[in-house]
Amino acid sequence: MKTLAKRTYFALALACILLFGLLTFLVRYALFADRWVTFSGSPHVYTREGTLNTGTVVDREGTVLLSTEHGKQYADNALTRRATLHLLGDREGNIPSLVIRNYAKYLVGFDKLNGTAAMEDGGGELTLTVDASVQTVALQALDGRRGTVGVYNYETGEILCAVSSPTFDPDDVPDIAGDTTGAYDGAYVFRFFNTTYTPGSIFKLVTAKAALEEIPDIRTQTFTCTGSIEVEGTPVNCPKAHGTMDFQDALAHSCNCAFAQIAVQLDRSRLTRAAEQAGIGDSLRVDGLLTAPGHFDVSAAGDNELAWAGIGQYTNLVNPCQYMTYMGAIARGGKAARPYLVAQVSCGGKTKYKASTSHTGAMIQAEAAAALRTMMRYNVTEMYGAWNFPDLEVCAKSGTAEVGKDANTATFAGFIADPDYPLAFIVVVEEGGAGSTTCAPIAGVVLKACVNVMDAER
Amino acid sequence: MQSIVNLFRPLLDEITLLSVYGTVLRVSLPILAVLVVLRCAKSLLGFRREPEIWAWLRLATGELLPVTHWENVMGRKKSADIVLDFATVSKNHAVLTRQNDGTWTIRDIGDRGKVQINGKQVLFSQVAYGDTLDLAGLEMVLEPVSQEEAQLQAGSRTKAGKGQSPGLTLALLTMFQLLAGISLLLHMDAEYTGKIAMAFGILIATQWVMFLAQKIIKRSGFEVETIAFFLMTIGMAVTGSKAPDSLMKQLIAMGIGIGIFLVVGFSLRSLEVAKKVRYLAAGFGVVLLLANLVFGTEMYGAKNWIYIGGFSFQPSELVKICFIFVGASTMERIVTKRNMLLFIAYTAFVGGCLALMNDFGTAAIFFVCFLVIAYLRSGSFATIGMICSGVGLAGLLAVKFFPYVMRRFSTWGHVWEYALEGGFQQTRALMCIASGGLFGLGVGNGWLKYVAASDTDLIFAFVSEEWGLIMAAVMIFALAVLGLFVVRSATVGRSSFYTISACAAMSIMMMQAILNVFGTVDFLPLTGVTFPFVSNGGSSMMAAWGLLAFIKACDTRQNASFAVKLSAKGGEAA
Repeated sequence: MKTLAKRTYFALALACILLFGLLTFLVRYALFADRWVTFSGSPHVYTREGTLNTGTVVDREGTVLLSTEHGKQYADNALTRRATLHLLGDREGNIPSLVIRNYAKYLVGFDKLNGTAAMEDGGGELTLTVDASVQTVALQALDGRRGTVGVYNYETGEILCAVSSPTFDPDDVPDIAGDTTGAYDGAYVFRFFNTTYTPGSIFKLVTAKAALEEIPDIRTQTFTCTGSIEVEGTPVNCPKAHGTMDFQDALAHSCNCAFAQIAVQLDRSRLTRAAEQAGIGDSLRVDGLLTAPGHFDVSAAGDNELAWAGIGQYTNLVNPCQYMTYMGAIARGGKAARPYLVAQVSCGGKTKYKASTSHTGAMIQAEAAAALRTMMRYNVTEMYGAWNFPDLEVCAKSGTAEVGKDANTATFAGFIADPDYPLAFIVVVEEGGAGSTTCAPIAGVVLKACVNVMDAER
Repeated sequence: MQSIVNLFRPLLDEITLLSVYGTVLRVSLPILAVLVVLRCAKSLLGFRREPEIWAWLRLATGELLPVTHWENVMGRKKSADIVLDFATVSKNHAVLTRQNDGTWTIRDIGDRGKVQINGKQVLFSQVAYGDTLDLAGLEMVLEPVSQEEAQLQAGSRTKAGKGQSPGLTLALLTMFQLLAGISLLLHMDAEYTGKIAMAFGILIATQWVMFLAQKIIKRSGFEVETIAFFLMTIGMAVTGSKAPDSLMKQLIAMGIGIGIFLVVGFSLRSLEVAKKVRYLAAGFGVVLLLANLVFGTEMYGAKNWIYIGGFSFQPSELVKICFIFVGASTMERIVTKRNMLLFIAYTAFVGGCLALMNDFGTAAIFFVCFLVIAYLRSGSFATIGMICSGVGLAGLLAVKFFPYVMRRFSTWGHVWEYALEGGFQQTRALMCIASGGLFGLGVGNGWLKYVAASDTDLIFAFVSEEWGLIMAAVMIFALAVLGLFVVRSATVGRSSFYTISACAAMSIMMMQAILNVFGTVDFLPLTGVTFPFVSNGGSSMMAAWGLLAFIKACDTRQNASFAVKLSAKGGEAA
């Protein structure tokens, strides 16, 4: 019997496996329960349509943009609803809100102790960094044209404005699938994060950075523009002959002939390095959302194509959010704050998440940045009209990207060089014509709105 | 009951459900559960293993050696039950066995020819009290334990239930049941109030009747049953939450199950009866399986159901009880007939039938149970290895189940990638486990009840969601306590028949829990095996009670078990 009793330890192994497995599971619960509970289709967290069924989303001033008190409720004002739709997602799930989903575990009031029991109190509150009033100003300024406007604080990283057009009212959904007018083309796409554009001349800020960093005498060089220059037997054109000018005026006039020569001077490797440092091909992580990566590749380009790449054409693509961050880097003299959309999430009176500022790597050398700041300010005062930005030290560069016949993308990117209003911005209008003409006024009113918000918060 | 609930409804509507849970039910249910199970665990795992003395062996030196089992290996080895440390004695020399009528026999298992009774060499013989045994020159006299001695011994051994009063534990369990019932009623439609109240009422009444009946026959160990009733309470609430209409069926199954428990338990009191029941059981198992093959219907991919007059039932569940009877063996048999051909053949037959039925989960359970019994009987992993390869059972099963198993295995470990296809049940289970947190969303307030077969296959998640993870863990711990208890009492077991059968029964239960729980949380493929006492299913409930009888029969604590004869008449502490 004693021998047999010893052999029973073999059977004991089964009980031990059971208990050990339980222990393993408890550890997994502690590690992963929040992922399980917020996984798509989680019955206590999402509705059948896949939208979060609890919690409130407010803007930086506390204006309620989305609540679930009686089903899914958007803002009272139709304009606000349209201006914030891409941030919140629609009811049908055509526009996913990755940002909200990323914080769903906090928003549903989930904690590993009580599960989702706190949801019965209505869940938590997620505070966005955007301002509803700025969003509406930006949407109105776009005036029905397709495009995007983004503004962020390059010192803290808060995104004050991220608008995408076309948009629609989630409380009065139009027949988007049956639309033939083109008014809702790509309405489900959040252009600021998820689209890339041919940049046009705003890309000269990358070429200029490369020149300032790599060509020691670039600021004393002069360039002559006759309206056209042959590179490798094929012409690169300017809208008009700019005559002879220095580097600063070449940027101000956005002279293609001059920048074609600079690009060839730089050659492929140095221009590629500059584009990499500026993060053109990178994907930024913004609150769990990944921006669409841009594109810069001249490895197979001839000199002519290199010239076109240097002036923001060829196969170049930039993502608005990423390029705005590069603007922040120029403004700060190297490293920009990484942009973010969610300021904090609280639930049951407790702060579950609070954003903190982090910075990118050095995107530009300090001296080159300082030089570019001066040149971009010169652009505004000389070319774009400082009247667009009364009382604001705006530095910028415009672009008119050729993407097809009579289908130029108007682009405009820059920042305010003022420690009180450390804002970087980008405006893109598809089929928008000339960059500065179309976009500068939009940037003007949106920046003004942002400054007003910042003033009010002081 | 309904009118009482209706009376309180307006009041309850005033208070939010959360606050009710937060303050009373959510916390008090796990606390009560932990108390009940810990009390059971403390007495089942913490009891002093005091041997029972059945006879004495007086050596020539005057030294008295106690005979502490019904089956005793005598020899030089340290692991012998009666250690005779003399150079001439074999390591395993003889087996001294107490027969059912209280007489003794001895069998020579050593070098042969070195056992003498009253000077006469024997291989196998009766031994009467006063006879002189001679083991390779070492002489000793078998002496009886007198009536007074027996009573004294019974009185001095710690009585079961001392320290942790089983009555108090049962009272705590009753409180738990009442709160669980109320909690369930709050969340369920009023039309089910009657059924749910009745189910909990019958459950509570049954356990008290059983407890008092055992008191009358002077048995005071009720921990094993208490654990079963605790698990059944959770099971009733799960069934009440998902399928209140099956409550009646579960109650009937409980009644039949307890009937089986009592019959098997009483048959195990005497080895003679048990050995006879053995042949009956073996035959009954064969009949059940053949009937299943002939009349069986396929459900959820396995043809393991029989329909009789509107009732469906799973014969393979009851075969588990038969299988244990066939596998269990007395020490004498173990040491004399080393081969297990009959048992292997029986296992092969059962395995073959299950293969034809496509019931992979049950086959795995039988296979593990077989391994446990084979090891207990042979003591050698090598033998088991040989058996495995020799019979080729595993291979046979694997080939038969291959396509079916592969289907299950295809999503195993990747359930999140197939969240809407093969991994649907497991991913919903994990989501709901997380949603429940540690204290649950409320009994009857879950979502998992809308997933097919969640009240049988996804029990762990079902309980986690509605009762909380603490309760689900306590549920597993409670079952594991039964397993640990069996191993702990093995050293004071009366006969290897009881030890082996109890180990086999607990192995089946552990294996069922392992497959059920780990299938739910994607540690193993989902096999659709039930969790003993908790899963909604009549046959499973009956089988669980039947298995429990074997565990009850290994409980040799003083006055513990109705399935164990008292060693002395009126053997209670004076």
